[in-house]
Amino acid sequence: MAKLIGGLGSSHVPSIGAALDKGLSQNADWKPFFDGTVAGQDWVKAHKPDVAVVVFNDHGNAFFLDKVPTFAVGCAERYEPIDEGWGPRAIPAFEGHAAFGWHLADSLVENRFDPMIVQEIEVDHGMQVPMELFFGRPETAWPVKVVPLFVNVIQYPIPLPARCYELGHALRKAIESFPGDERFVVIGTGGLSHQLQGARAGFINPEADREFLVDIAANPAKLAALTRQDYVRLYGSEGAEMMMWLVMRGAMDEAVRVHHTHYHVPASMTGAAMMVLENVAG
Amino acid sequence: MSEDRIPDTPIFDRARQQRGYRLNKMAMGLGKPENRAAFKADERAYLDRFCLTEEEIGAVMRRDWREMVRLGGNVFYILKISAIDPARMTEIGAHQAGMDHETFLRERLGKV
Repeated sequence: MAKLIGGLGSSHVPSIGAALDKGLSQNADWKPFFDGTVAGQDWVKAHKPDVAVVVFNDHGNAFFLDKVPTFAVGCAERYEPIDEGWGPRAIPAFEGHAAFGWHLADSLVENRFDPMIVQEIEVDHGMQVPMELFFGRPETAWPVKVVPLFVNVIQYPIPLPARCYELGHALRKAIESFPGDERFVVIGTGGLSHQLQGARAGFINPEADREFLVDIAANPAKLAALTRQDYVRLYGSEGAEMMMWLVMRGAMDEAVRVHHTHYHVPASMTGAAMMVLENVAG
Repeated sequence: MSEDRIPDTPIFDRARQQRGYRLNKMAMGLGKPENRAAFKADERAYLDRFCLTEEEIGAVMRRDWREMVRLGGNVFYILKISAIDPARMTEIGAHQAGMDHETFLRERLGKV
């Protein structure tokens, strides 16, 4: 059967992608952030996953308000980068893993999660940026297949943090019941604290962010027990998306080893983080 | 529109979403190059396709981000306007916070 070899966490701030596009990653503003991502890239190079399940939200690019799936599973063979208004970014398309996508949909439904099934969709910075941070920007092809797992964190009702954590448990069952010997990582994306709307725009909470990075490894049940309002209060209205890290964390064992944590603030208007977790049991 | 439970923090709930649906749909259209060209060529004509109110049209044409959000605009949609008429995310944030850009970077984001 397939094996989950690591849980990865990453911000997906669009300005990180823009900094890469403009060749700014080594300037004074951005170098401290990008320097802290090298250890994550090194881990990926050393452990050579075959498949990345990427948990993220679309930002009003592929989904409009006419159809808002709470959870959606990508079952396509290929995902093109989407035009977010500036034209599609010059990165290779992602090779999908339709067989696992369908298996995941089957397995989730059997475990009482009922996702939307998506066979044609383009992907935005929510998936692009974490992939670039962990895998670098390839010339022609990404070194892994991807399975997008979309979570609605924009249009209320957004899911409960506890539900995201439980989704992670179900995702783990799907991986471990998938025939073959492919090596999987799950990437939880988003955050950390930021607020882009209202007079509280620009709210960031570095102290709460650092605490989140400790708790996500050591005490995820605490983060899963918080309300959506707690997330908005602690991490900002857009920072509430940090609950998507709980999907990744829920897929991992209770006992994890923190291989790498990196935090830098601000990236644009956001606390930016990267994390690598391994199961203690291997 | 429902009261914000956390001060100055608009939650994109049912009321706000319904209020802003057409405005957001207009902005969503700007993900397509032909619509960006139409917006650039004749902004008012492009906006008129979406049955917006004069209040909404005025907010868009003035690039009044705070007002667009008040009218139910969601940043992820209306941000596409900034792809045509460039504005940085931090400038859009500063406008909503009611601060000049330098003050916003310093006081909210801790930039020195």
